[in-house]
Amino acid sequence: MRLGVIAWLMAILLPWPPATASAQDATPPDVLVSRHLAEAEDLRVGSVIRLALDATGTKAREFRVAGIYEPTPDPSRLGQVPRSVRLHLPDLLDMTRPLDVPAGAEYVASVNVALVDPADAEQFARDVNARLPGVLAQPSGEAAGSAGPFRVLERFHLAIAVVTIVAATVFLLALTIMLVDERRETVGVLRLIGLPVRRILVQILLEGVLVASVGAAFGLVLALLSEQLINLFFQWRYDTALVFVRITRDVALTCVAIAVPLGASATVVASWALLRRGGLRLARR
Amino acid sequence: MNAIGFAWRSLVRQPARAVLGVLGVAAVGALLFDMLLLSRGLIVSMQDLLDRGGWDIRVSAAELPGSGLRVPNALDAADSISRLPSVQAALVIRSALARIDRASGRPIRASFQGVATRSTHPSGSRLRAPWTILRGRDAAGPDEVVVDERIAAESQLEPGSEITMRATCVTDLEALPATRLKVVGVAEFPFQTTNEHTTGGTLDALKTACGGNVGHDADLILVTSTGDPDGTAGAIRGLLPEVTAATNREVVGRLQQTGFTYFRQISSVLTTVTVSFAVLLITVLLTVSVNQRLGEIAALRALGFSRIRVVKDVLAESALIVGIGGVLSLPLGLLLASGLDRILKGMPGIPVALHFFVFERQALYVHAALLTATAIIAALYPMRIVSKLPIAATLRNEVIG
Amino acid sequence: MIVDARGVSRVFSMPAGPVTAVREVTLQIRDGDHIAVRGPSGCGKSTLLHMLGCVETQTSGTLLFDGQDVSRLSDARRSLLRLRHIGFVFQRFFLLPMLTARENVELPMSEAGLPRAARQQRVRELLEYVGLAARADHRPSQLSGGEMQRVAIARALANGPRLLLADEPTGELDETTGAQIAALLDRVNQSGTALVIVTHDPALANRASRVLTMRDGQIESEQVA
Repeated sequence: MRLGVIAWLMAILLPWPPATASAQDATPPDVLVSRHLAEAEDLRVGSVIRLALDATGTKAREFRVAGIYEPTPDPSRLGQVPRSVRLHLPDLLDMTRPLDVPAGAEYVASVNVALVDPADAEQFARDVNARLPGVLAQPSGEAAGSAGPFRVLERFHLAIAVVTIVAATVFLLALTIMLVDERRETVGVLRLIGLPVRRILVQILLEGVLVASVGAAFGLVLALLSEQLINLFFQWRYDTALVFVRITRDVALTCVAIAVPLGASATVVASWALLRRGGLRLARR
Repeated sequence: MNAIGFAWRSLVRQPARAVLGVLGVAAVGALLFDMLLLSRGLIVSMQDLLDRGGWDIRVSAAELPGSGLRVPNALDAADSISRLPSVQAALVIRSALARIDRASGRPIRASFQGVATRSTHPSGSRLRAPWTILRGRDAAGPDEVVVDERIAAESQLEPGSEITMRATCVTDLEALPATRLKVVGVAEFPFQTTNEHTTGGTLDALKTACGGNVGHDADLILVTSTGDPDGTAGAIRGLLPEVTAATNREVVGRLQQTGFTYFRQISSVLTTVTVSFAVLLITVLLTVSVNQRLGEIAALRALGFSRIRVVKDVLAESALIVGIGGVLSLPLGLLLASGLDRILKGMPGIPVALHFFVFERQALYVHAALLTATAIIAALYPMRIVSKLPIAATLRNEVIG
Repeated sequence: MIVDARGVSRVFSMPAGPVTAVREVTLQIRDGDHIAVRGPSGCGKSTLLHMLGCVETQTSGTLLFDGQDVSRLSDARRSLLRLRHIGFVFQRFFLLPMLTARENVELPMSEAGLPRAARQQRVRELLEYVGLAARADHRPSQLSGGEMQRVAIARALANGPRLLLADEPTGELDETTGAQIAALLDRVNQSGTALVIVTHDPALANRASRVLTMRDGQIESEQVA
C-alpha cells in the first residue's frame, strides 16, 4: 500500500525579493508549480517562492520550485487558469493545521491506495469499511469523482445527435424526393419499355448506397479535418491540453452505419412513392 | 397574387416536399432555440436562485463557492456588517454533516444548515432563512429543524415529528452524539443538489446537534442592502479585508467566466452548426425546386414578370418554409429543452432548482433573427439563378428537352 | 408601327466559336398584321420571335418597339413592355400547375396592378372567349392539351397586348385540336391584335397574311396573301 503524499493547494503567491545569501543557507522544501502559474509569474525550476494561506501572509513559508507540471485537464474547470502548486503532504499539513490541532491530528480529504493486485479492490474496500468506522473506502472505478459529469455530457451529446439525425433524415427525404422526381421521365420510360418495378428499385437502391457511401466518406474526411481544427482552436482558447473532439474508430463506424442505410433507405422510400404511379403518367410531362 | 400567395401555392403544389422541408426546419430550429436558451440559461437561472431569497451580497472566505475555506469569527463579522448604514440584515450560514437515524433502513446522510440573523435595521427582521417553507413553519428554537421533501418522504416525517440526528461541525472523525430534534416544517432549499438531503435550523439548533461544538467560523454570510448592493459590498470589503464580498451580479459574472464556459461554448458551436446546416439544406431544397421550374419561370419572365418579382417569389418561398418551420420549432424546442434539462441536471453538484435551459424573450428575438437570416442566406443562390435566368435560352432548352 | 427591325442580327458565343442565329433581318410589324414564320429547325425562327418579343436583344442592328429602341431599355422596362404590350404563347403552354385556369389567366393582370374586380371581369370574358368558362376552376393537370393551350392564349391576351407571339402553338396538339387553336388565333388577330406565329405546320402558316421563310438566320422569302 502506498499513500499518495502530494496534495493540492491553491497558492497565494506573495511578492518576494530575490533570494538572499542567508535564505540560500537553509534549502526550502520543494514544490511543483503548474505550467500556467509558472508562465504567469515567470517562475523557473530553482525559483524560490513564498506561499501563505491568505493575502495577509498568514503562515507564510518559502519553497523552492523543483519542477513545473502540466495539470491534468479538467473539463469542469474549463476557462479557469490552473494556478496551482503541489506540496509534499507534511508541508501542506504544517501550513494548514489550525493552532488548536496538535501535529499528527490533522485529517486529509482522501487517501489513494495502490494495491498489489488491483482485482482485490472490492474486497479491500469492504475490509477497510468494516474495520474503520467513519472512513469510506471505495474502488476508484466506483468513485463518482469526475466520471459523473462525463456520463451526463455523453447522454446530452447523444440526445443532440439524435435530434440532428432526425433533422438530417427529414431533409434527406425531402431532397431525395426532389431528386427522384427530377428523374421521373427516365423512370417512366424504363417502366414503359418493360422493366419491372423491382429491377428499377434495385438500381435506385444501388445508386443510393453508392451516393450515401461517398457522402459518409466525405463526411468522415471533413470530420477528421475539423477535429484537428476544433481541438487546436479550443486548446489555444482555453490554454489547456484537454482534447475536445476525438473521432475514434467506433465513432467513425457508427457514423457510417447510420449514414449509409439512412441515405439508401431515403432513396428507396422516395422512389417507391414515384414508382407506384403508372409509367405513362411518369413519362408524360 | 402577391409573392407570398404565389410561394404558398408553389409549396402546396408539392405537399410531401413542403412538409418535409418545414419539418426539417422545425427540428433544426428547435435545436437552435435550445442552444440559445442554453447559452444564457444557467446565468439567468443562477441569478434567479441568488435573487430569490432577497439577499443581494454574499460574504465568503474565497471568491468561488466550494473552496472549503470559511469566514472566521463569523458572528462578530455579521454584527459588524449589520451595523453598516446600508445594510438591512446579515445572515450567517454554517453547515455541518449530519446523519438522521431511521426506524428502518440505513441512516440518511444530510447536510445541516444553521443560520443566525443580525440586523439593526427596522425591516431586517422580515428577512428569512435561505429556504422556502412548503409545509409547517420555519425553525426558530434550538431544538427545531426543517427538513427537505426527500428526507420527509424517506423518513415519513411531517411537521410535528421528531428525529434523531448526529451532526459533526468540526471534523469527520469526531464522535457523533445523538440529539433529538423536532421537525417543524418541510422546506425547499434552493441550492440543494439532486442527490443531497438537507435540513435547516437556527445556529443554536446546529450547536445543539453538534453537541455545542460549532467553532466560530461560517461558510457564508448573506447580506441584504438597503438598495445599493455594489456600494454595500465595497463597504464590507473595507470593513473586513480578509473576506470576499460579492454582489449576486458579481457572483454570476465570476461563474460566467469559469463554471459556465463549457455550456456557452457548446451552445455557440451548435448554434453555428445548426444555422449552417439549415442554410445548406434549404439552399439545396430551393435550388432543386427552382431548377425544376426553370421553364415556368422563364415563361413568366417572357409574359412580363420582372426580375425582382421572380426573385421575390423565391425569397417568399424560403421565408414560408423557414417561417412555418420556425414557428413549429418553438413548442418543439421547449419540449426538447425540458428533456435535455433533465439529462444535464443529472450532473453531480447541480442544484435542483438550477436550470440549464431558461426561456427568455431575448432568445426568442435572436431565434427569429437567426431564422430570418437563414431564410435570406439560403435563398441567395436560388435567387441568383432566377435573376440571371436567360429567358430565351431557357425556353429553347425546355422545348428541346 | 409596332415593331420596326432594321438589319438585326443575333450572334451566340459558343465553345466552338460564335454562331449567328439571326442575320441582318429587316421586318416591320403593324397593328393587325398576321405573320407566319417558317423554316427548317435551327434556322433562327424562335430567336427572331424572342427578339421581336423583347426577350432577347440583338447583337447588331436596330429594333424599335412602339418607337423605343429596345436595346437601350433596362431589363425592368423591357419586362414592363412585355407585360403591357406583348403576349406569348408557347409550344409547351407553361401554365403554372398549382394554379387553376382562372388564376393562370389572372396572373399577368395581377402583376400589371389591375384592380381585383376588373381582373375577375376580364378573366370571365377571356375564358368565355376561348370557350373555357366551364373549366375556369380546373388545374392544368385536369385539362387536355388543346384546353391548356386555350388557357395559355387567354393568359397571353390578359393585358390586351398589341402583339401576340406564338412559338409552335400547335406543336404538341393533334390535327383537329391544332385547327381549333389556329381558328382561335385567327379570331384574336381579327380583333386587331398583331400576330406572329413560328410554325412548321403549313396549314397554320397558310392562314397568315404574310409568310416569312427563314434559312440560315435570314429571311429567304416573304409571301403576301
